[in-house]
Amino acid sequence: MSDEALLAGMAAGDADAMAAFVRRHQGRVYGLALSVVGVPAIAEEVAQEAFVRAWRHAGNYDARRAQASTWLLTITRNVAIDVLRVRRELTVEPAVVAEMLISTTNDSDRVADSERITTALRALPREQATAVLLSVHFGLTAREISEQQQIPLGTAKTRIRTGLSRLRAMLEVSHG
Amino acid sequence: MVDPTRCGEVADALAEVATGAASGPDRARVLAHLADCPDCRRELDELTRVADEVLLVAPEHDPPAGFEGAVLARIAALSAQGPSSGAAAPPPPPDPGALPLPPAEGGPDAVVTPLRSRRWRRALPYAAAAVIAGLGGAGVVWQATSDDRDLAAGYRETLDVANGRYFHAAPIVDDGGEQVGHVFLYQGEPSWVFTVLDDTVEQGTYDVSVVTEDGTETVAECEVDQTGGGAGGTIDADIYQIERVDLVGPGGTTLAAVLSDDSPP
Repeated sequence: MSDEALLAGMAAGDADAMAAFVRRHQGRVYGLALSVVGVPAIAEEVAQEAFVRAWRHAGNYDARRAQASTWLLTITRNVAIDVLRVRRELTVEPAVVAEMLISTTNDSDRVADSERITTALRALPREQATAVLLSVHFGLTAREISEQQQIPLGTAKTRIRTGLSRLRAMLEVSHG
Repeated sequence: MVDPTRCGEVADALAEVATGAASGPDRARVLAHLADCPDCRRELDELTRVADEVLLVAPEHDPPAGFEGAVLARIAALSAQGPSSGAAAPPPPPDPGALPLPPAEGGPDAVVTPLRSRRWRRALPYAAAAVIAGLGGAGVVWQATSDDRDLAAGYRETLDVANGRYFHAAPIVDDGGEQVGHVFLYQGEPSWVFTVLDDTVEQGTYDVSVVTEDGTETVAECEVDQTGGGAGGTIDADIYQIERVDLVGPGGTTLAAVLSDDSPP
């Protein structure tokens, strides 16, 4: 059954659809939560909350706007960032984690549909890939990135914008 | 015709709105620009899709045993409290079993708080609920956390859904005339007001009130911390009826956005 069908079932209150949706995506959601907050027990709470929010908003999911997996991961990321902002002690070395996210050592744990974006991120200048990951995964503003990376604010902004634009160009090519 | 120079001025902030990391003031600036710029709306849409895809790179990890059961138990408990969360359903109450997110020092709480006692609150039609829930929940106060980020993401479709007619923004100024934030007004079903204050204002809780010729109603409480803050709520009034949006903060600090002279017809 497709994700879209499961989400439609969830919106209608179908517990079986919810269970299937959780089973299908739990590894990915927990993996993202763990990569952001770094602590397994807290990552589990984040992942649980993400699924609860997905259940609440399943009726609003629009397949024209995003794949179900990216929609769900966006929810997960937002929950995780909220936790980071409250529990600042969890934010240890996001730049190191950002490096690890595109490291080849993680390839065995990647989901097949991440190959395209992983390849594109690796093709970026490393500093741009890191800036994009810090902004997307950890919700760091350009100012926070400039402070953490000890670079001028304008440089941080440029890295995020240029990195995203280059990713778009690469993904468009791979689409074609 | 949009001045291309202005597009260049918001280009960096636009990328941060796409990643979800933009600060409140930057987000406000971009949203105000987007209201008049279809090119930048398209750019934001494309960059947001790219940024969302970046999330796919996180490796999978199996959660601890019992994870699935724990999720389903939470949902079952919530379901037992009331109607399911379909798009047309009213917003669920604050979730006592939800992830504990204590407020940062004076900072915004991530929990979405229903406007229980607001006279202007009303049941939302299906389509409006779909949009507003995307912005942070139907008939609720939006706080500047994940729901605030959803505001930017949801903007792309906002004007096209729920019979929305226009989106309007105005500066919020302090009593010395200095701009300290933005108010955004959306005319639709329902209409809504969203205020964003920057980091120069005194920290604390600001009561957000909408003033029309019929009177004044408080629609939200805006929590401001060292990074600023944002909050909003739905209203029954048409936005052209709004003369002013007042924000009264700690110690009586008063900020305001005057709309009577420049609201859309």
